[in-house]
Amino acid sequence: MAIECLVLGAGQEVGKSCAVVTINGKRIMFDCGMHMGYLDHRRFPDFSLISKSADFNTAIDCIVITHFHLDHVGALPYFTEVCGYSGPIYMTYPTKALSPLMLEDYRKVMVDRRGEQELFSNDDIMKCMKKVIAVDLKQTVQVDKDLQIRAYYAGHVLGAAMFYAKVGDAAMVYTGDYNMTPDRHLGAAQIDRLQLDLLITESTYATTVRDSKYAREREFLKAVHKCVADGGKVLIPTFALGRAQELCILLDNYWERMNLKVPIYFSAGLTIQANMYYKMLISWTNQRVKETYATHNAFDFKNVRSFDRSLINAPGPCVLFATPGMISGGFSLEVFKLWAPSEMNLVTLPGYCLAGTIGHKLTTGKPTKIDLDKDIQISVRCQIHQLSFSPHTDAKGIMDLVKFLSPKHVILVHGEKPKMASLKGKIESDLGIQCYYPANNDTVCIPSTCWLKADTSKTFIRSSLNPNFKFVKTISEDKSNLVSKETEATSVLQVHDERVAEGILIVEKSKKAKVVHQNELLLMIGKDKHDVQFAYCCPVQIGNLERTKGMDFALSKNVVSTSDECSWLHLLFAKLATKLGGNIQDFGQHLQVDSIHISVCLKDICPYRTTDGPQKEPAVFFCCTWSVADVNLAWEIISIMENLDLSII
Amino acid sequence: MEQHLGSVCECILSLSTNDKRLNLRALASARSLIINSSTSDSTISALFETLTRFLQLTTEPRALHHTLKLLSDIAFHHSRLSGLVFHSVRSYLLRSDSTRLSAESLAVLSSIAEHDRSLASAMDELDDRFFVSLCFGPSVSVRSWFLSNAFRFPIRPYVLLTVMLGFTKDPYPYVRRVALDGLVGLSKSSVIEDCGVIEGCYCRAVELLGDAEDSVRCAAVHAWDAREGVLPYHMGDLWSRTLLMGFLCIVNPGKHHPQPHISLMVGLPLPVILSQYGCHPPIMKVAAFDALGKIGVVSEDILLQTLSKRVLGITKEKKPLGQCSAKRKSLGQYIPKHFDIQACVAAGAFVHGLEDEFYEVRWSACHSLHTLTILSAKFAGEALNLLMDVLNDDSLNVRLRALETMHHMATCDHLKVQETHMHMFLGTLVDNSTFIRSTARKILRLMKLHDLKMFQSSIDGLLENLEVYPQDEADILSVLFDIGRNHGNFVVCIIKKFSQEIEPSCEGRLDFDSVRVAALLVLAISAPLSEAQKVCSIPSRIFSYAVTLLGRISHALKDVMNQNTLLAYLSHCSKSTIVDNSESFFPMIEGDIPNCSCIDMISPAGMSLQQGASENENQKRLEPRKSATPLLDCQLEVYSEVAKSIKLILLKINDIWFLVQKGCMAEVLRMLRSFREELATYMSDSLVSADTLAFTFQYLRVVKLLAKVQGLSKEEELHVLELILVTCILRLSKVEICCHNATLKKLSMIISHAEFLHKEGSIEPYNFVVELKKSLGEIDTYNDGASCRPFLLKRLLESFSLKQFRLSGSPKHIKAEIDLPGNDTEPLPFISGLPVGIPLEITLYNVSSENRLWLRMIVHEQLMEFVFLDLNQSGGCDEVRKFTFMAPFYRTPKAMSLTLRVCIGMECLFEDVNLITDCGGPTRELVYICQEKEVYLGMISKT
Repeated sequence: MAIECLVLGAGQEVGKSCAVVTINGKRIMFDCGMHMGYLDHRRFPDFSLISKSADFNTAIDCIVITHFHLDHVGALPYFTEVCGYSGPIYMTYPTKALSPLMLEDYRKVMVDRRGEQELFSNDDIMKCMKKVIAVDLKQTVQVDKDLQIRAYYAGHVLGAAMFYAKVGDAAMVYTGDYNMTPDRHLGAAQIDRLQLDLLITESTYATTVRDSKYAREREFLKAVHKCVADGGKVLIPTFALGRAQELCILLDNYWERMNLKVPIYFSAGLTIQANMYYKMLISWTNQRVKETYATHNAFDFKNVRSFDRSLINAPGPCVLFATPGMISGGFSLEVFKLWAPSEMNLVTLPGYCLAGTIGHKLTTGKPTKIDLDKDIQISVRCQIHQLSFSPHTDAKGIMDLVKFLSPKHVILVHGEKPKMASLKGKIESDLGIQCYYPANNDTVCIPSTCWLKADTSKTFIRSSLNPNFKFVKTISEDKSNLVSKETEATSVLQVHDERVAEGILIVEKSKKAKVVHQNELLLMIGKDKHDVQFAYCCPVQIGNLERTKGMDFALSKNVVSTSDECSWLHLLFAKLATKLGGNIQDFGQHLQVDSIHISVCLKDICPYRTTDGPQKEPAVFFCCTWSVADVNLAWEIISIMENLDLSII
Repeated sequence: MEQHLGSVCECILSLSTNDKRLNLRALASARSLIINSSTSDSTISALFETLTRFLQLTTEPRALHHTLKLLSDIAFHHSRLSGLVFHSVRSYLLRSDSTRLSAESLAVLSSIAEHDRSLASAMDELDDRFFVSLCFGPSVSVRSWFLSNAFRFPIRPYVLLTVMLGFTKDPYPYVRRVALDGLVGLSKSSVIEDCGVIEGCYCRAVELLGDAEDSVRCAAVHAWDAREGVLPYHMGDLWSRTLLMGFLCIVNPGKHHPQPHISLMVGLPLPVILSQYGCHPPIMKVAAFDALGKIGVVSEDILLQTLSKRVLGITKEKKPLGQCSAKRKSLGQYIPKHFDIQACVAAGAFVHGLEDEFYEVRWSACHSLHTLTILSAKFAGEALNLLMDVLNDDSLNVRLRALETMHHMATCDHLKVQETHMHMFLGTLVDNSTFIRSTARKILRLMKLHDLKMFQSSIDGLLENLEVYPQDEADILSVLFDIGRNHGNFVVCIIKKFSQEIEPSCEGRLDFDSVRVAALLVLAISAPLSEAQKVCSIPSRIFSYAVTLLGRISHALKDVMNQNTLLAYLSHCSKSTIVDNSESFFPMIEGDIPNCSCIDMISPAGMSLQQGASENENQKRLEPRKSATPLLDCQLEVYSEVAKSIKLILLKINDIWFLVQKGCMAEVLRMLRSFREELATYMSDSLVSADTLAFTFQYLRVVKLLAKVQGLSKEEELHVLELILVTCILRLSKVEICCHNATLKKLSMIISHAEFLHKEGSIEPYNFVVELKKSLGEIDTYNDGASCRPFLLKRLLESFSLKQFRLSGSPKHIKAEIDLPGNDTEPLPFISGLPVGIPLEITLYNVSSENRLWLRMIVHEQLMEFVFLDLNQSGGCDEVRKFTFMAPFYRTPKAMSLTLRVCIGMECLFEDVNLITDCGGPTRELVYICQEKEVYLGMISKT
């Protein structure tokens, strides 16, 4: 069995997340996003790769959407209403609530403002949303009898989730976008320790290790405070969802602490509606918001008022949150035009701005004039402050998550190619986990786990339950990368208790596999116990003994006669004892070291004798037998014996 | 009942032969016979014999279980039979082949032996192998029972250690936990001296910090607390390092990797509880950070690494900070290499901690920085960057903790504030929390400002604070005065800028009613006292302007100088601004200032660490203190501030009671200890509120020991009386109480006194007192040790709740001092057998003439005399009386010299219990209100 991952979007790029994963025959589409940078066919994932016949209902078992950002949900109405997918779609409750807002907003901007041909209608969005099945965190959903999915908290934006999917024994996690550090309104990602074959993780910040966000918050507050203290106006162009609420909590708290009375405004529309959802979805926020919820809803901003167009030119300081972010048009542009010429004012740009937008122009270089179109030119004298609050995890966070989950394989998506390559290297070298970062429309195949169920015998269980610990002095090498690379061996007393290691797995024909205790094995298979014995007939030189010693040994054909056998054995004993110490014992007829049994061989032709080449020297043969356990020792003794000369005393 | 004995016995015996069903009825009858005290001895003996026989006959495990239970009941209710029961159970134990039943019989044996010491030796006869074999059986419950009770059995420590160590590897988490606890217990007894073994134990404990099971990890963290004072020095060091590594694992997400035990995979019935990512219960992280803060030995590199998420390229230098290096060498660099902490484990521990979702964790991280910043200036500098960010935290507690940590850094001279920090830091001066503002100002007093810009912004910050919160005026003025003294040069520059504001406007109107002008004037007049500014260029007329605000300024500076001094100083400066520092303007304060400039800045933990620090470091730390005159440092704390803190503490104590009821004693004691430490810091800071402080100390002690305090208003007295009542009840509820008659008498007396106070002050009586009064009769009836009393007492205790203690007015600290000048060098002469007069100089504070004071003089327990102190004959007022008293000591013993311990005690008016009757002393219990003084007497030599 294998897991196949077809990356339709966000492969080696950021945008239009979409991955189709086949696990044990089940096919899941994770995210169905659109690319905001393209207006042609590249905007959507190439769905034709899923099914040539365009029969998506049979090709795909379910769709899982991680959060409401357009690069994760943008193509969904198109896929369901235009391409005709009508199977189950899963997302969390907040995502289900907020996605239509995002989609509708996008559709309006696209159709009403830019006059493009619409790809899906408002009706399509509504119909699509009706097909969505909302899930809760950690709720295990049985999609069909084999496929299970479960959502985990991911931080990032309200309702963002990581999804766990399991078919049979194969399991995987798709993270979507996530954040490992809590922010002002959301918590950090949380997941159980799972046994995974595959982890598909985002890698937006594959190489960046970010410092504490607090420092950037401090800068932001300082800039805003300074501006309003000097009587200036602050414009914060931002997306309606997420960033706006986070910054607003930050400012509202600060205002509260510092007793500031300067008004904070929210431009009407989407934001107000979004705030309402945020107020309701408290359980998806972080611990701080939840803790204070009983007394005060953090999204009930004390200092925030709704904005009226007439206030744009009102005198005195104020802070205004206006959509859209990046000042790409709409209300934020309108206000920008009026406020930019005064050097008292401040424009704060939270986060990334697409090339071509005014926001982008403001952050790159310090323009004094911006050409809006051929006729209109805005002179920019206001202060510009850029904020980089990103709700994505950083490289350390990705590593932490991968290490925590320790999957068998990792696929990186949603990142830039060179950075992904560097992270892949790090994951493979530091964690020893196979890692891939496929390009769009590529497929990665990995093997999946298959568990085999085995019965156990009672004896085995009992032996597993009985403590069986050993103390071992192990030599450990210093692998610390903190200190010098030189390694120094140190011995540590360690405890070992591996109780089940002594079982034996038996797979009999047409029967379930079974683990038994080693003592039971013979009984089970109905065989007798066989001991494997090794034997070797070893010649030992005796030289010209009778000449040198003048002793009366009868020699015929270089073979010792019966009457002398004991004396030879005794002689060997004396020799071996000096080499081996007290281990060797003399039993009269034979010598013994552990299971090694040595006796004088009186046969003319011994099956254990290797007779390659004629005997040059006179020798006595000793038959040695031993069992498996003492193999090494036996060969050691034999090599000693072969080099002996019994005549030399 | 007893007539059924025969049938009961038969029934029991039939169990062994008949069907397998247990005759529970017979067993119940047997038990009721046993525990009924009126059952005759012969019946019990018969039962005992039946049961013993049964024990020999039957093999049915359930029946045996009940038999053992009944036998143990016999042993406990009829002590004459306990020896027999012991031997019969023991003989059963030796032939039993069931682990579970062996364990049960062992439990019976050991509890009998614990009651009857004479049988203990019989226990010793069982050998180690027997005990140990119990936990090697397959029964997990027996194993964990045995491990947690192992100390009750006579097992050699080495055997026990091996067993415990081995079982820390058990697949069952509960067994692991118990085994670890056992190891900790064993390490306390310090019988194990083999370094290798100890090392192995610690390795294992550290491994368990990464256990998959929370309870095991908790036990491992708590093991840390147990190690203090137990280990030899080098082991302590080792332990710290290994633990540091473990703690960092907990603190840092994703860094620990307990491998799921292999047995989980083969389907053994083990509970699988997987800890969740990033969602450790914060209690673990909090405990780990707390423990991190206590670790005294750690290398600077690691510390720095904890502040950065990036793995720093770290040098080879591994010298740990905070321990005496000479001592280290003598022990031969013991630390094995593999204990060096891996940098990547440490990476960003504090960054994560301070960013945590749970404020408890953030608080704890700030707190542990508190102690760690003492160790290294470099670390403190880096940590400050993070701490400044924490000032933006949305939890007040965390912000306050961060400021307190900074204050601590400032006192250790490790606070290096940079320009970039100033906005955030000065923002706290206009925070809407009083605590935040006052702590920020406390830091500002000690802060060294390096350039004019920072100085200017600090002054601006303070002026803004003054504008927004005029109630802080006194403290702000005093802070300005201090800052001015420390930065004389800058003051001169600033005042030039502000001179327009201070000078009279062109209409000739002085704007002196504005607080701002007052603040600037205070700043200006502080300049001449600065060491840096010998020749001061503040225009002398400014000092004349300041005179017009004399009252206001002197109120603010009352800790530094009184009004007269200030006036003298101002008039001097208005003539000539050159101030000779030798010329003293502070006569009032000089002389009675304790030299405390260094005491308050180093916590007890710091003290011990400081001892170890190199001499250089030491000097560096102390030197900067010289530039700021100790005079100021001692006087910094303003009364109101301390009073606020004390109120806060009293408020917190209120909450503790809930914890006491819940049984979280460790937590309660820890909190009380921290309150005490907090108070202790004020003690050295301030002289003004010494009485209040002393009271609060006393109150803390009351809560801790439920002891006594006097000299209070009616409400306060009632409050304390209530506490005493609780003490009595507690005393009564102890079984081994011997003098409950006296206690009861005392109880009823206090109740009547409380009632009297209630009536007199028309105060609503406390619920507890009412309840107690109702039950008093009941308690009396049960006083001969019957069984239902504990329930009654327990109920009573439950009805008690600790009320908020309100400090109305300022309490008086009743105390006394005894002095005998010159006695240290020259003993008083005496002649044995003749009375001797001891001229004592006694000073009494807040003692009214109604109080009955006694002078107690003791040579030893048998030789004790009391002398009544007649206050009417001494002069002075109630607040302070000072007089010399010739104390007669009559029974001088035959000795060449003797030491007399003299002490003053006050009679407790409402404790009318005759405790001391002989030697003509006081009739009521005494409360000693002074330190015992030793008087040396020497026999007059005949030469």
